[in-house]
Amino acid sequence: MNLYQPHLMRIREITDETADTRTLRLEFKDPGVAEQFQFSAGQFGEYSVFGEGESTFCIASPPTRRGYIECSFKATGKVTQALRRLAVGDTVGFRGPYGNSFPLDEMKGQSILFIAGGIGLAPVRCLIWNVLDLRDQFKDVTIVYGARSVNDLVYKRELEEWSQRSDIKLCLAVDPGGQTPDWKGLVALTPNAVQQSVTASENTFAVICGPPIMIKFTLPVLDKLGFPAERIYTTLENRMKCGLGKCGRCNIGSTYVCKDGPVFTAAEIKKMPQEF
Amino acid sequence: MKELQELARKLLNEGTVKVVIGYEEGPRGVRAAFITDPTQSEKLVFDKRCVQNLVAYLNPRRKHLIQLGKAAIVVKGCDARSVAGLIREKQIERGNVVVIAMRCGGVLENPANESELTCETVSVRCANCDVREPKLYDYILGVLPPEPPVNPARAEQIAALKLMTSAERWQFWTEQLSRCIRCHACREACPMCFCVQCTADKTQPQWIDPSSTPRANRAWQTMRTLHQAGRCVDCLECERACPEHIPLGLLARYVADAVEQRFAYKSCDDPSVPAPLGVYRTDDDEEFIR
Amino acid sequence: MMYRFLTHEELASLVAELVASGTRVIAPVRAKDDASQIDYLPIRKLEDAAFGVRLPRRSLKEFFLPPTEVLLYYKQTKDGVEIREVPTEAPPQVILGATSCDVAALEVVDKVMGWGYRDELWFGRREATTIVTLLCSMMDSTCFCTAVGLGPDSARASDLYLVPVEGGYLAQVLTPKGEALLEGRGAAASEALQASAEAARSEARKKVEVNLPTIPAEFSGWLSQNFDNPFWKTLALRCHGCGACAALCPTCHCFDMVDEHDSAESGARRRNWDSCQTSKFTVHSSGHNPRQSQSERFRQRMQHKFSIYPSRFGEILCTGCGRCSRICPGGMDLPEVLGKLLALAGNKPEGSAQ
Repeated sequence: MNLYQPHLMRIREITDETADTRTLRLEFKDPGVAEQFQFSAGQFGEYSVFGEGESTFCIASPPTRRGYIECSFKATGKVTQALRRLAVGDTVGFRGPYGNSFPLDEMKGQSILFIAGGIGLAPVRCLIWNVLDLRDQFKDVTIVYGARSVNDLVYKRELEEWSQRSDIKLCLAVDPGGQTPDWKGLVALTPNAVQQSVTASENTFAVICGPPIMIKFTLPVLDKLGFPAERIYTTLENRMKCGLGKCGRCNIGSTYVCKDGPVFTAAEIKKMPQEF
Repeated sequence: MKELQELARKLLNEGTVKVVIGYEEGPRGVRAAFITDPTQSEKLVFDKRCVQNLVAYLNPRRKHLIQLGKAAIVVKGCDARSVAGLIREKQIERGNVVVIAMRCGGVLENPANESELTCETVSVRCANCDVREPKLYDYILGVLPPEPPVNPARAEQIAALKLMTSAERWQFWTEQLSRCIRCHACREACPMCFCVQCTADKTQPQWIDPSSTPRANRAWQTMRTLHQAGRCVDCLECERACPEHIPLGLLARYVADAVEQRFAYKSCDDPSVPAPLGVYRTDDDEEFIR
Repeated sequence: MMYRFLTHEELASLVAELVASGTRVIAPVRAKDDASQIDYLPIRKLEDAAFGVRLPRRSLKEFFLPPTEVLLYYKQTKDGVEIREVPTEAPPQVILGATSCDVAALEVVDKVMGWGYRDELWFGRREATTIVTLLCSMMDSTCFCTAVGLGPDSARASDLYLVPVEGGYLAQVLTPKGEALLEGRGAAASEALQASAEAARSEARKKVEVNLPTIPAEFSGWLSQNFDNPFWKTLALRCHGCGACAALCPTCHCFDMVDEHDSAESGARRRNWDSCQTSKFTVHSSGHNPRQSQSERFRQRMQHKFSIYPSRFGEILCTGCGRCSRICPGGMDLPEVLGKLLALAGNKPEGSAQ
């Protein structure tokens, strides 16, 4: 057994979130591992298709739900294309959990504003469910989620569930032109959706994930609302291979995304060299 | 030398070019120079230690060099063939580079160790050179030195390879290539390996396994050599770059000889002469597929 | 008594015993393809070794992190996938007559290999290996081991350190492994011999010190603060991004991970040497590349070795062997680059943007 050896997982369920985004629910083949496996929201793993290679995704399901983990991905390269060809019952590999996590304990007793764009909802969704599974330990929960079009929204079933809950303020948005005739949410770019739906920042953490351009334009909105950079959390992606600090690939300056991240505050990111 | 230095100064002062790519003294001998300041033109040298083919620096994908601006480049006749190759294959436009050709009497195989050109110290590639007076140039400098001595080593190695059976040659190259660590330094140093995505780097499908194994190493090197057939100018940059000291130049030369025999073609410094494997002719009799 | 006197015959018999017992003994030998060059290769007897000729072309790295290494074998079955493990214990081996720069590099790389997660493949080989360093007499103007806090006199990471003297060697035992290797061999050495060994070590040191001054501790921080300094744009114009430097570097350890089939159902997951100098090293599947040109990639090389690794592990990721400079087809010279950067760092106030 060496540190690069993955756990064997079986695909239990496949959900197509959008035309190009798929979620896999995976169970550990070894019941002993299944029993003991633990992780924290924000951590990631290396998921492999044997014969094709490994790919890096966050763990998209919350640590509060035991017995399975989930990942959501787009088929953009060799391994993700191969993942898409797999069926329920097929075996994949999983190495993890790696990386750091959202500071859940610090966030307890406070309000949380979740902002996500497109597939960026995946790492945030893990924390959202973690929080919702411990709902009474947090104050207000606000979710602002936007995508290019209605079709591009992921976790549609859960969005529906969240919209029904009275203990969540959910604000959905699609880009102008992306709405359908019966669309009831906002029609706005996500940064504008944030501007329109968020008013307060006291005692609130912001957790944001999405395409770089969305983050770039949302941060000033948060800044104006009074969110200090130390209370804005995001997850970074970078090209990874080993996922555990040895292969020398994922660093941004002296920060290793796989070891020091992938969860960072906006303040930490500002200090990094602009090499990502 | 003065001729070259003055020309460089003039070209830079007039703004004809923004950088002169040539040779200078480095800490361990002659190396590539990038002169952007006309007052630094004195650094330029040219002598039998100027082994490196500088044309890789004209690769249009080298952003950090492109940003310097239009270049003048110092070439020997053999290097001029690489310039012709880049023009022929539409990587650079003739008008976008100023070619400063130097008349050449041969270069040393190991400039660090030797100082005089003899048949043992001269580079194997100088044997039977027919471009000592380069024909592709904007400026041609220097006095034509005498013909270089001929280093017989390469011809001997090729002859030995030709005497081998197929199986022996296969064994020979498998052994030589077993040292290949798939670093691809040969590719990066080669002036004619300019593909934006190399076949070896494609993952869908993975045409060639990336690991250092006998089969994958053979596949990689033979593929690269065949992709260079008719295009390689025998500059030996691949061999100089190889950290495992594999005789890559020998493999390339072997294939170049085959191209010569098959297609009566030697890589040349005239961009208008098409390379045999890069051109489609309706009158090609294609006798090999009958 | 710091040194024991080991005769040539004693060393020869030690090698013979090791080989007879099946232990691989690796030493510098004349290269098969070029007798003027030296490679680290297995020997059958001490006479095969060529000490004191020149620095071996490649470092010891390949004996601990091979250019390609299987991490696991997989096989598709009707129930799923079977994984076959690879052993993490390695057969015993002895490295005899290595240089300080090559040996110290192993301990430098130990830091990242043990960071958080323990790389059993690397440490399996480290634990199975006994290292005998030999005082280097082969330095040239490209060496700079003293500048990075080492030197030909350094016994860092060595189990035994040998100084050649008339009739044999003066051997300094550094570790229990070294003691075990000697198995009681070696006689007491006179005071005079002891002193001569020490003198030889410091003489060797002086030969390298002239090449580059010691890199000050503040250099790491200065590099990090000057990440955006425009000098990076023109520091590496002659660099092809070929990665030959990384291949030969004793401390470069970056690797790629790939799966390869050997049949439709089975294959192996491997790790292979890779280099931050290649254009595809950091490219995302979207096509985005955080390091788009060679100047940024060369900056990464310098930052990793002289700023990032020191800030994370307290070590410079370089042992001053000079191989990168000797192989570079473009003529990059690391002592020269360091000299330039040190001069810039010295002349300007801390944190200056120009």
